Amino acid sequence: MVFNSIEFALFFLLVFILYWFIAGKNIKWQNMLLLGASLFFYGCWDWRFLLLLSFSTFLGYFTGIRIGVAKSISWKKFWFRLSIILNVGFLAVFKYYNFFVDSFTGLFNSFGMHLDSSSITLNVILPVGISFYTFHVLSYVIDIYYDRIKSEGKLVDFSVFVAFFPLLVAGPIERATHLLPQIQKERVFDYSKAVDGLRQILWGLFKKVVIADGCAEWANMIFDGHTDYSGSTLFMGAFFFSIQIYCDFSGYSDIALGTSRLFGIELLRNFSFPYFSRDIAEFWRRWHISLTTWFRDYLYIPLGGSKGGTWMKIRNTFIIFLVSGFWHGANWTFIVWGGLNAIYFLPLMLTNANRNNLEIVAQGRWFPSIRELFGMLITFLMVLFGWIFFRANTLTQAIDFIKRMFSADLFKSPKLPELADLTIAFIIFFFIIEWMGRENKYALEQFGLKWYVPFRWLFYSFLILCVIVLSGNEQVFIYFQF
Amino acid sequence: MRKLFIRLFIFTGCFFILDKGFLYVRDSAPELEIDKRLEMILTGKIQSDVLIYGSSRGARSVIAKVFTDSLGISAYNLSFPGSDITFHEYLLRLTLETKGNKKPKSVILVVDDSDELKVAKSLKFRLDRMYPLLKYKAIRKELVKRKEKKPILNELFVVHQLNKSNFLFKQQKFTTNDSIMPCGSMPISHQKKTFNKIFNKENYTYSTSGELIQKLRALRSFKNYCKKNNIELIVVIPPNFKFVTVGFADRLRTLTNGYATVWQYDQSNPVYSNPDYFFDNAHLQTNGSYVYSNELVKFYAQLHKR
Repeated sequence: MVFNSIEFALFFLLVFILYWFIAGKNIKWQNMLLLGASLFFYGCWDWRFLLLLSFSTFLGYFTGIRIGVAKSISWKKFWFRLSIILNVGFLAVFKYYNFFVDSFTGLFNSFGMHLDSSSITLNVILPVGISFYTFHVLSYVIDIYYDRIKSEGKLVDFSVFVAFFPLLVAGPIERATHLLPQIQKERVFDYSKAVDGLRQILWGLFKKVVIADGCAEWANMIFDGHTDYSGSTLFMGAFFFSIQIYCDFSGYSDIALGTSRLFGIELLRNFSFPYFSRDIAEFWRRWHISLTTWFRDYLYIPLGGSKGGTWMKIRNTFIIFLVSGFWHGANWTFIVWGGLNAIYFLPLMLTNANRNNLEIVAQGRWFPSIRELFGMLITFLMVLFGWIFFRANTLTQAIDFIKRMFSADLFKSPKLPELADLTIAFIIFFFIIEWMGRENKYALEQFGLKWYVPFRWLFYSFLILCVIVLSGNEQVFIYFQF
Repeated sequence: MRKLFIRLFIFTGCFFILDKGFLYVRDSAPELEIDKRLEMILTGKIQSDVLIYGSSRGARSVIAKVFTDSLGISAYNLSFPGSDITFHEYLLRLTLETKGNKKPKSVILVVDDSDELKVAKSLKFRLDRMYPLLKYKAIRKELVKRKEKKPILNELFVVHQLNKSNFLFKQQKFTTNDSIMPCGSMPISHQKKTFNKIFNKENYTYSTSGELIQKLRALRSFKNYCKKNNIELIVVIPPNFKFVTVGFADRLRTLTNGYATVWQYDQSNPVYSNPDYFFDNAHLQTNGSYVYSNELVKFYAQLHKR
């Protein structure tokens, strides 16, 4: 059941009505309902996934309590380590085991040994959202261990924290310090928040169905047959993928945040107009914020952050980017993508320029300065180059794609189907709206609020019309595979 | 909460009214098309005794008019460039199920040597040919069946029936590659610039590996429709400039359980090794198409002892 489906719309409507009309102001019933709905939602993918989710939840719940009540440091450490090892272990088995087996056998075979990996690889499917809910549980356990929060005694409340359906399969990666207090607190219906939530859902759907899926058509066509296209067309393929991945993931996040708001729960913001970043450091402050800050708080800072010497800084930067790349998937392409971003980031960090652009670009102005525009363009091109590795199936394909892209015909007019023009027109429209709304939490937050109602409704109708025209054979969100 | 539901209700009402305005976009789309063949099927205007189905090889190589000129029987070419067997099967089904169309006596299926049943980038189910004709219920139904559109949304909203291509509002024009004769055939009278004219005929042996199950099913279904409706099925393999696949004809015979007559062109004919008769490796030029069509008609006449 994906967000951009009729099934989800009906499911959501039913849960919404039950939540506010039946459960009413009874927090216990509200949480029970959210848990039931979340388990049903997850079970729709594959009921067997529920076993793993339940195990992860019980593990976090139980070890959290044990850490909280441990009378000695050694017991506290024992339960903490057990929780981390089991959580990471499960993630490693389901997501990375086959990758390591294949990589090692490949390495040994390159030295002339003849090993067959097929007999020892696991024939398992990657459970949807495993990376996300594992990180939820990890952050909870780590926060208890470091006495940032107290362990949660109510299993239902804790389970809602881990499995809350809007964020279950692709985030945002929540923190117990942020989400648990909201789950424990009574929630009352708020009209303005509900309308705001609906607006964010609409914008998320537009991003996903109209822009991301529109771009996916051309990006897939060009990446899948990259040997048949000119350099400029390949560049357009990378461009389409850059837009696709942003709109796909941020569209998902918008729908998740909007849906959650309709239940009276605020989730962490995940994107903040990353393609308007003036340098790569700013980009990483604005892209997949919940994951970036997770790695910052639970990996980078414990490793020493930027407090040590230069080599320490370099080491930590590489670790965080490589791990972040590896988190996305068990493929060398993601590791190279992470490494490339570390290389982009290093010069800024070593020259202490990584916190130069903290404010919103062109704040209070209609247009950016030439310097800002140049910065945004260069950053976008660097990011676009990195996405080639992210999108390619193998490193060989990525390298071949890049070689062909930087050929003599890079500056010739690209050959694209006529319908791609329509996608480009939508992209331009999208960026105009995003630019106008860049000072808000999401582009539509304030957009058109001061217009006459008929005009505003006409604008919403336009967005809905686009979504309905283009919603047929819905595409799964890219980040579901992570 | 009440306020929210009232507002949503009013908004939905307004949206429904706005949505109905898009009936104009949907219903005026066929007028922008120049290839009216699919619309002819939908409106029951197919009245020929011999129908030809296929991809660009069928469209370019077989000139239906030759049947009429030589044998006096009506023939019409319903081959669509870039289409695969699943599309041919759909067209045959549509032809037979639409009221008003005459049931043909013979169907000629022109197959691609040897990609017809395998993955072929250039061959697909031509959804793009269907989108301009959304005003016809049969097309909308098929798109829902093929999961291109959602059944509930399709019933509720006119805009959901549409495709983004409907918003290009572009009047189609004939090109040198896509002019259509009154008999439905689409011969080409020039050569592709990149055509390598050096003749070096190679023979390949057909391998069943890589055959797609949905294409095999479509071929069987094509045969079954013919059989059920008592229509003669002739499967023909048109000439390639470069190669011949040995065993492909036998494979087709096996797959059609002997119901179809499988016919391959005369490979000893020097025309098929002369580049002047070809558009490219896979397609004949108009002069070659006439030679080939005459050969096919001769075979057809022999088959029917005319």
